[in-house]
Amino acid sequence: MPYGSLDRTPPPFFKQGPTSLSKLLLLSALALFLMVADKRFEIGKIVRISLAAVLNPIATTIATPVLAMRDSFKYVDTISAVKISEQEAHKKLLLQSQRANQVEALTLENTRLRQLLSLKETLKTPSQAAEVLYDAIDPYSRKVIVNKGSVHAVQIGSPVLDELGVLGQVVRVFPLTSEVAMIIDREQTTPVLNTRTGVRSVAYGNPSAHGDVLELRFISGNADVLAGDVLTTSGVDGVYPAGLQVAKIEKVERRADSGFAKIFCTPKANVLGAKHVLILNPLTSIETPRPADEIATPANKRGVKK
Amino acid sequence: MIMPRGQQLLLPVNAFFIWGSLLIGLMLHMLPLGRIAWAPDILAIILVFWSVHQPHKIGMGTAFFMGLLVDVQQSAMLGQHALAYTLLSFIALVIHRRLVWYSVFSQAFQILPLFAIAHAIELLVRLMAGGVFPGYAIAFSPLIEAVLWPLLSSILLAPQRRAPDRDAHRPL
Repeated sequence: MPYGSLDRTPPPFFKQGPTSLSKLLLLSALALFLMVADKRFEIGKIVRISLAAVLNPIATTIATPVLAMRDSFKYVDTISAVKISEQEAHKKLLLQSQRANQVEALTLENTRLRQLLSLKETLKTPSQAAEVLYDAIDPYSRKVIVNKGSVHAVQIGSPVLDELGVLGQVVRVFPLTSEVAMIIDREQTTPVLNTRTGVRSVAYGNPSAHGDVLELRFISGNADVLAGDVLTTSGVDGVYPAGLQVAKIEKVERRADSGFAKIFCTPKANVLGAKHVLILNPLTSIETPRPADEIATPANKRGVKK
Repeated sequence: MIMPRGQQLLLPVNAFFIWGSLLIGLMLHMLPLGRIAWAPDILAIILVFWSVHQPHKIGMGTAFFMGLLVDVQQSAMLGQHALAYTLLSFIALVIHRRLVWYSVFSQAFQILPLFAIAHAIELLVRLMAGGVFPGYAIAFSPLIEAVLWPLLSSILLAPQRRAPDRDAHRPL
C-alpha cells in the first residue's frame, strides 16, 4: 500500500479547544450583535464594506457570463416583437410630441408665474445614468444593484428614476456598485402628492408574494381619494425633487369598521424589470445660499432689547 | 478505526479540495439569478457535509465566516446566514458519529430537519427585523437540499474514493 493512502496524522486527543456548545453560544451571540450593528452602528457598515471589497470582484466575474447569456437571449428576439414595439413607440412619440410642444409654452408661463410670485427657481439636480445589473438575491427585500458606486460619486440617499417614474433610493454604496431599495420595499417610504386634489401623504412600500404595491396609510375613510389618481413626489422631504411620478391609485377600500381607508397604488416605474436608470443627487446635498439678512435680524433685535 | 462493515477505506482528504468546494458553493450564491425563494442553498449542504465528514477541519467558525460572506453578497441582513450556518454546523457536529453509519439515502431523511431549522431561523430573524415574507415556495428549499444530499455526497467523496495505487488499468 502506498504511503499516502491513509491519514496518518493523529486526531487531537488533548487539544480539543472550547466545547462545541460554548462555540455555538459565542458565535450566535456574535451573529445577533452583527444583526443589531447592521441596523444601528457604524461597525456593521465597516464589516460589510471590507468583505464586499473582497467579494465584489469575484461576483462581477461570475455575473458577467450569466448576464451576457441573458442579454443574448434578448438579442435573439423575434423580428415581429421588434416591429410591434416600434409601432408602439411611434404611437407614443406622436402623443409625446404633442405634449412636448406644449412644454415650451408651459415652461415660459411657469417661469413668469414663478417670478411673479418671487418663488425660488426649481433646483436643477445633477444626475447620472446607470444600468441595473441584477436584482439583489435576498428574497426578504426588494432591492436592485446598479453599476455606479462611490467612484462615480454616488451618494447614500440619492433618488433613482427610470423612464416611467421614481424607482427608489440608494441605500448602500460600494466602490463600483450601489444598492437601490425600490419604493415597494417594506422599509421605503416616499412622500407623495395627489395631483388631482393636491393633498400630501406618504406612500409605504407593501410588497407581498401576490403583487408588489404601495400603500397610503392613515388617510381617513371619507377622504377625497379615487382609484386612478396619480401620485407624484411632493418635494417636502428634501430628497426627491417635486413632481416626479410615483404611482397610480389602484384600489380604495373604505371600511365601516375602521376610520381609515385602505389605499393601494401600483408603482409607475418598472419595478420588475428596470434596465436603465437615472441617479439624482439628493436635494439636501445641494447647497442653497442662506439669506444673510434673515440671520442678522434676530441678533439685532436682541441687541436692541439689551 | 470503527466503521460500517463493507464500506471502502477512504484516502486522506485534501484541504485544498475542502476549501475549493466551499468556494464553489459561495460562487453559486453569487450567480445573479434574481429573487428565487425556493433556491436551494448549496453552500449549506457542503458545510454540513464537511462538518459531518471532517469535523476536525471544518466546524462552526468556518460556517459562521461563510455565512457572513453570503450575507454581504446577498445584501441580506448581516449575521442572518451566519447564525443559520453556525446552528447547522453545530447540529451536524452533534450527529456526525451516528450519521455516517447510515446509507446516503437515509442520511438525506435525517438531514432534512436540519435544513428546515436553518431556513426557519432565517425566516424568523428576517420577519422579526421587518422583512418581506418571500412566499410559501420557501418551504421547498429544504426539500431540494435534502434531495441534493446524496448527489453532493458522492461528488465530494469521489476524490477520497480513488484507488490508492494507480496503474494503467485504474488511471484515476
